[in-house]
Amino acid sequence: MDFSFTEEQDMLRMSAKDFLAKECPKARVREMAKDERGYDPQVWDHMAELGWMGLVLPEEYGGMGASFMDLAILMEEMGRNILPGPFFSTVALCALPILEYGSSEQKTKFLPQIAKGEAIWTFGLVESSGKYKASEVKLRAVLKGTNYVLQGHKLFVTDAHIADYILIAGRTGEGERPEDGVTLFILDARGPNVKMEAIPTVGGDRQFKVSFDRVAVPGDHILGRIDKGWDTVDFILQRAAVLKCAEMCGACQAVLDMTSSYAKERIQFDRPIGSFQAIQHKLADMLIDVEAVQYLLYQAAWGVSVGSPSRWQISAAKAKANEAYQRICIEAIAAHGAIGYSLDHDVGLYYRRVKAAQFAAGDTDLHREVIGIELGL
Amino acid sequence: MDFRLGEKELALKEEIRKFAKAELPPDLVRNTVIDGEFRDFEFEISMSRKLAQRGWLVMSWPEKYGGRSASLLEQTIYEMEIAYWGIPGAWMGISGTQWVGPCLMMFGTEEQREKYLPLIASGQKDGVWCTGYSEPNAGSDFANIRTRALRDGDDYIINGQKVWTSVAHRARWCWLAVRTNPNAAKKHHGISIFIVDMKSPGVTVNPILNYYGRHHFNEVFFDNVRVPASNLVGEENKGWYYLMQSLAFERRSIAPTTYGNLKRILEELARYAGQTEYEGQPLSKNPVVRGKLADLAIDLEVLKMFAFQLAWRISQGQIPVYESSRNKIMGDDLMRQGAITGADILGMYSQVDPDSEWAKLNGAIQGAYLGFPGQAIAAGTAEIEKSIIAQFRLGLPKSY
Repeated sequence: MDFSFTEEQDMLRMSAKDFLAKECPKARVREMAKDERGYDPQVWDHMAELGWMGLVLPEEYGGMGASFMDLAILMEEMGRNILPGPFFSTVALCALPILEYGSSEQKTKFLPQIAKGEAIWTFGLVESSGKYKASEVKLRAVLKGTNYVLQGHKLFVTDAHIADYILIAGRTGEGERPEDGVTLFILDARGPNVKMEAIPTVGGDRQFKVSFDRVAVPGDHILGRIDKGWDTVDFILQRAAVLKCAEMCGACQAVLDMTSSYAKERIQFDRPIGSFQAIQHKLADMLIDVEAVQYLLYQAAWGVSVGSPSRWQISAAKAKANEAYQRICIEAIAAHGAIGYSLDHDVGLYYRRVKAAQFAAGDTDLHREVIGIELGL
Repeated sequence: MDFRLGEKELALKEEIRKFAKAELPPDLVRNTVIDGEFRDFEFEISMSRKLAQRGWLVMSWPEKYGGRSASLLEQTIYEMEIAYWGIPGAWMGISGTQWVGPCLMMFGTEEQREKYLPLIASGQKDGVWCTGYSEPNAGSDFANIRTRALRDGDDYIINGQKVWTSVAHRARWCWLAVRTNPNAAKKHHGISIFIVDMKSPGVTVNPILNYYGRHHFNEVFFDNVRVPASNLVGEENKGWYYLMQSLAFERRSIAPTTYGNLKRILEELARYAGQTEYEGQPLSKNPVVRGKLADLAIDLEVLKMFAFQLAWRISQGQIPVYESSRNKIMGDDLMRQGAITGADILGMYSQVDPDSEWAKLNGAIQGAYLGFPGQAIAAGTAEIEKSIIAQFRLGLPKSY
């Protein structure tokens, strides 16, 4: 058993910290929350130069051939700084399944674009119920000649407005199980009859309702197998859960750090509030939460890295992160007092992002249910 | 990073499983630590001897003291499995294997090591230890102890009282914290550790029953008890440092032990819920039950990682600062969560006397339910542990 990072991983973390401290200060985060695009293309280009988008892609596709654990480390740092932009949707939700399920033609075409930072991708799965369940995939995809014709809509599609391509889960058939008959389509996000409507959210991110009105998709623009797309969705959600957990883990650490610093500086009753046990014990609880998320994350990410992802480990990590991130933010605001409730304070930036992070790749109930099934219940 | 168990550890797990199947009754055996009033001392000590014969009882000690220099990871797996199977007798009076032995190896004289360690390592009654720490006026404020040791020629004479002394009624030796310098500038600097023969004249052990009537605790009186100076551990007045080390050892073993115990309880509850019909379907199909058991499973996963991380850290030669406290808090919280979840699932049966034939799961849930508040106090309350984390990990000002 080994709990240490490699020297390369330490270097990756340090360089990510340096870069993000410079390129993604909180002023930039605030600015981007109001920005039309929601991200800074210059920063995006720099990230591509550093090889981040292609970090886990093989060299033949312009990537760095690093491990999934390396990607988790990078995203932990992104989460710590609340880096705005389409990295998660492009890399976690799309590049990974293209690499796993794409035809050699698709990989050769799409992956180098992603690695170079030239293409933004996103993934549309949930519909009106807002649930990640196969039975909720109702968007119709009907074969007409050599094309599939898509009719329906997707909700909470992140970064759709800046995406070049969208992966869409559509229903091509009905089978015994709701998972049967789901197919993943690769769509030109700017194609005709694709309509986008912004869903205003509290998190400063960009989410959309994307509607498809008789959108024709060539029959070969399919990722993975026809009617068997849920396997790919499952693959995406497992990895996305770990990587979202990594972002949340970084965010949790940032919130703990700022609260701990504040407790040392803030004087009341002639002494730092951090000398009071009421505050100390709150912070100790936060630390335990942070480390719980860390080690469950590392365990789950390691499993994916060595090619044996574990549903148990992944769902434990995401469920824990969902609850811990929320709890840490709420306790942090309480420890700050009124200043923590103000627009100018950074703690609110993190709290406002809790909900989006919790639902991404599965809320706590979903992951509890996975654990329940694994327990044989 | 690498979270695989090695072949050694996997083989050890399997050996312990076989051992438990062969040596224990088939039902779920209750947590012997939390429920351990040592009612069947003869059986318990017979298990200690068997564990010793297998080379497990003190596996991480060096060969010359009866161990086999096993890694701390192996030791952690062993503790998890022992607790999972409910194998009694692993602790040699709670203190012997867990901190008296390791502390003697760090701070004792060679003479002390040669005399006391083999007794523990071989699983004999004369290797059973109790620990005399708490006093009526020294609970969380442990440095406030007043039991005195006064030098008298080649001996020390000890006077005073200890309380909440676990298994003193079974112990041959006491690992005793006393005050040797009442005038030290800081009260932490006047404390020493002695090895006291519980058969010495002047030692009186009185039982204290816990709130469910079990005899686990005692009060121990020392009335002019004469102890040879050679029984002083380490240096005079340096005892506080040894105490802190002993508590670190004690707190370390809580996570693996609690993990093993609760892992078993979780599996038994899952099985029970699957076999119990309610409203025409198994109780395991009830979403509330599923959610509670899943929550327990998730937090158990955290406890497992905390246990391994601490073992790994120590095995790297690093001195843990706050991790033992973290693990203690997590373990205690989970024991509470597991006991309450279990009681919720058993419903009305959770009020049944654990020794009664009405008890489900052999009374394991009631044992945990009645026992967890006590376990949460032993070796440092949650409040003390959180203050340790706040000060030594987060760098907040001292609060007391």
